Amino acid sequence: MSTEDTQNDEPKHPYETEDSFHPLGEEWEDRMREELEDTEYDADLGMEMARDAQRLVAGEISEEEFYAEYHDDVAEEFEADDRPLFDDVNPANHEEIEDGSVLDSLAEMDLQGEETSRREMMKKMGAGAAFLGYGAYATYDFQPADGAPDNVSGIRPAPKDEREHRWGMVIDLQRCDGCLACVAGCINENGTSTGANWMYVFTYEDEDSEQENFLVRPCQHCSNAPCAKVCPVRARHTRGKDGLVLTDYETCIGCRYCQVACPYGVNYFQWGEPDVEVSRLEHLDMRPEEVRQLEGGDYDDRDSERYQALSDANDHVYDYRGRWTDSRPPQGTMGKCTMCPSRQDGHTDNPKGTVACMDACDAQGMSAIHFGDLDDPESRANRYLERRTEVEDTVLEKWEGVEDEDLDIETTASPTSEISTFRLLEDLGTQPNIVYLGNEPGPETEQTEPPTPYEVYSGSGNKWGVEVVDERKEHLDYGPSGPPEQEGEEGGE
Amino acid sequence: MATSPGEPEDIIRPILNTSKKYYIAFGVAAAIALLWSAVYGWQLEEGLIVTNLADWGSGGGSPWGLYIGAFIWWVGIAHGGIILSAAVRLFGMERYQPVARMAELLTLGALSMAGLYILVHMGRPDRLVLSVVPAYPWTVRTSPLAWDVTVITLYFVMTATYLGLTIRYDVYHLRDRLPNYLGPFYSLVTLGYSEIEEEVIERMVWWLALGIIVLAPLLLHGGVIPWLFSLVPSMPGWDGAVQGPQFLTIALTSAIAGVIILSYICRWAYDWEHIFSDAMFRGLTNWLGLFGLLFLWLQLQQVINGVYAEPIAGETAMVARITQPYYIFAIGTVIVILAYIFAQAVDQRQFSLARSVVASVLMLVATLTEKVLFVFEGLLYPHFSLYEAVPGHYFPSLVEFSSLAGTVALCTIFFLVILKLFPVVELHAVEDHHDDHEPAHDEEVSS
Ligand code: SF4
Ligand code: SF4
Ligand code: SF4
Repeated sequence: MSTEDTQNDEPKHPYETEDSFHPLGEEWEDRMREELEDTEYDADLGMEMARDAQRLVAGEISEEEFYAEYHDDVAEEFEADDRPLFDDVNPANHEEIEDGSVLDSLAEMDLQGEETSRREMMKKMGAGAAFLGYGAYATYDFQPADGAPDNVSGIRPAPKDEREHRWGMVIDLQRCDGCLACVAGCINENGTSTGANWMYVFTYEDEDSEQENFLVRPCQHCSNAPCAKVCPVRARHTRGKDGLVLTDYETCIGCRYCQVACPYGVNYFQWGEPDVEVSRLEHLDMRPEEVRQLEGGDYDDRDSERYQALSDANDHVYDYRGRWTDSRPPQGTMGKCTMCPSRQDGHTDNPKGTVACMDACDAQGMSAIHFGDLDDPESRANRYLERRTEVEDTVLEKWEGVEDEDLDIETTASPTSEISTFRLLEDLGTQPNIVYLGNEPGPETEQTEPPTPYEVYSGSGNKWGVEVVDERKEHLDYGPSGPPEQEGEEGGE
Repeated sequence: MATSPGEPEDIIRPILNTSKKYYIAFGVAAAIALLWSAVYGWQLEEGLIVTNLADWGSGGGSPWGLYIGAFIWWVGIAHGGIILSAAVRLFGMERYQPVARMAELLTLGALSMAGLYILVHMGRPDRLVLSVVPAYPWTVRTSPLAWDVTVITLYFVMTATYLGLTIRYDVYHLRDRLPNYLGPFYSLVTLGYSEIEEEVIERMVWWLALGIIVLAPLLLHGGVIPWLFSLVPSMPGWDGAVQGPQFLTIALTSAIAGVIILSYICRWAYDWEHIFSDAMFRGLTNWLGLFGLLFLWLQLQQVINGVYAEPIAGETAMVARITQPYYIFAIGTVIVILAYIFAQAVDQRQFSLARSVVASVLMLVATLTEKVLFVFEGLLYPHFSLYEAVPGHYFPSLVEFSSLAGTVALCTIFFLVILKLFPVVELHAVEDHHDDHEPAHDEEVSS
């Protein structure tokens, strides 16, 4: 997560907000300092480095910044004469740094040096910095190490200056009227099975208001995604280049740990045979490994052979890496909202920077969903957010100059005079990339019957004729032969 | 207690003679196992839709259930078993030496069943190796499930080594009394054996036992298995550092119950009253009571913390759990068992072998129930509680229930095969009785 985010309510990294920067707390920190003071080296420098190493781990500063900051200091302090210190870490060549673990790669480099052992090196780096190396090892994981198999991806978006985008949405809950167009639009685009509502809309009531509220819930594409962390095979992963959290349908073993670890309940497992056969999905008719064998390019490389093949086929199944991550999952694997990666990779007929649920919402004339690059101030999402806040500012300006005593803000506040933004369950530390405008559901809220019930909107109720069902379990319970009246249900054929 | 010391002849009897009971047991177990493998084949074909699992969230179900609960239960038995046997070796608890190997075998059998449950639970078991292995160096840093596979493998290797080392001794010394048709197998087991190694092996076994005693609480049932749950941010019902100790006590309770049942069956089948003495069973029953008490104590810790101090989500989850009829059944059963155990501890006349065996069976049912409940009840009350369909509903399907019968049958087959291969009671256990007959005898009488 970067600090220069578009949101001023960006969550502070825990290490920033607590007095102690180390996860193990102040006591550790004090002990570290003592140890550092026992050495002949500068304890303050050590502590500062340690602090910044934490920020580096959290993706708040880049490695380059880290090196630039400390190169001279360290050279001076440790008389870095014959040791290939920071100069030898070529910042442009990140793949060679094992999981971005600075200290590790430093130590490795030092082993190649002649006399100094890794142990000495660590001592010289200062006890604090050394033990913090573990943290770097464990979490700074935006891309796999050199030599990692292709299907082993990272679990974090790359730092801001190394990624192309950070896709997300700004969803204006005050514009939503619960029509469910987005839900059906997504089902239509992705061919998900009955009740697998990658996009889901809650209608809920607060205890103390009669008002009907809506919460539009796609996957939050968390920048610190618990689902990706826990996956035992890295099928669930984060694309470093743009932060999309995807599932590689070819490696997923169907353990459902991601589903259990996700706090938002956005995952839908493919319990039986999918309703929509592969042949009905828009896709390049090639085996995944063949797609990967095509000469592929970097992110957004539109000249590559793979890109050409994918765009000729208007493919909605493979992403730019040739991995099967889009559209509904095959039997026995996990699915969830993908933020339409084949669109973001630019090889479908639909433009990059759009998603099917947003298109459906726009077509309905509601425009509550605004997808876009949250890193880019010019993206649709950010411009919308800005405009909405500006509107609010003018409303607030009107009140300027009015004496506080004259104004009982509590009672006169109109719904538009205070539009709040929030992210769902932010304090769990998941760093979600969906920003909501409107009221956050409180602990006492209750889901209620929607104005357009899911089942009413199903089939002929929507323009695509797709089936829309709320409670999936009822359909799964019919077992592999499908619900009695309707053939071709989940696991039907 | 007039017990006559065991003889080496006694412990090799199962290898030499095969009774009708044996064939019946084998036949029944094999039939159940076959039946279940057909059911599992059906699940492979149709997908996990044949279970009663479903998505949590808008889906209104529970994505984990009996399979994961039974997985923890089997791992618990395994870990408890090996701790028991390591304790016997490490602290020289001679009274329990006759069951040490039984506990080790239980560990191997139960670990295999736990491993099998991982497969059964997965949507795409065919990918296990090809997906897990290449990503392993990376996933092992972040995925508790990868840690899990690591420690289970580690423990399997440690236990097998441990068992292998002690079996070498026995087979070497009993070789001329063992059947010839298994000659090649025994030669393999005793490959390169020389008597000089005996002392070294004894020391190795001691160190391995130490390793197990230290590692098990830290890493296994006190660590990695509960971490699978307590580290995820989504489900308050799984929160809390108490899960480690909690899992460990359940593991030990289940394992002792398992050992009591197994040794009782062997005693009944092979007339081993003098080897598996009443005194030993009484001792095991007392241990069962002690660990059962710890189990209840840690449940109480969780319940009080949950209903009194936790944020709303945690309280909801806890209140739901303690009002669950199955939970009340599980805890009630443990309380009844404990009542018996403490009664027999105070008044020896209350003890009977049959009662202890029944208590053990009930204890295993209670721990299994608690484990399955722990898994899916935890999933029913997430932090994000807006979904009307949450708490969802779940009751295992017949397919899922049949897996319990299937794995118990497979574990039985494992034991039946082992009974024909080498002694399930260590030679040391009967030798010791033999060598210093009097003191051993005294000890039993005085206890
Ligand atoms: S919302 Fe859930 S599934 Fe989506 S990225 Fe976050 S944790 Fe993963
Ligand atoms: S279900 Fe698939 S994607 Fe999810 S954690 Fe398991 S292997 Fe990973
Ligand atoms: S972003 Fe794409 S996958 Fe996600 S809900 Fe919208 S249409 Fe569905």
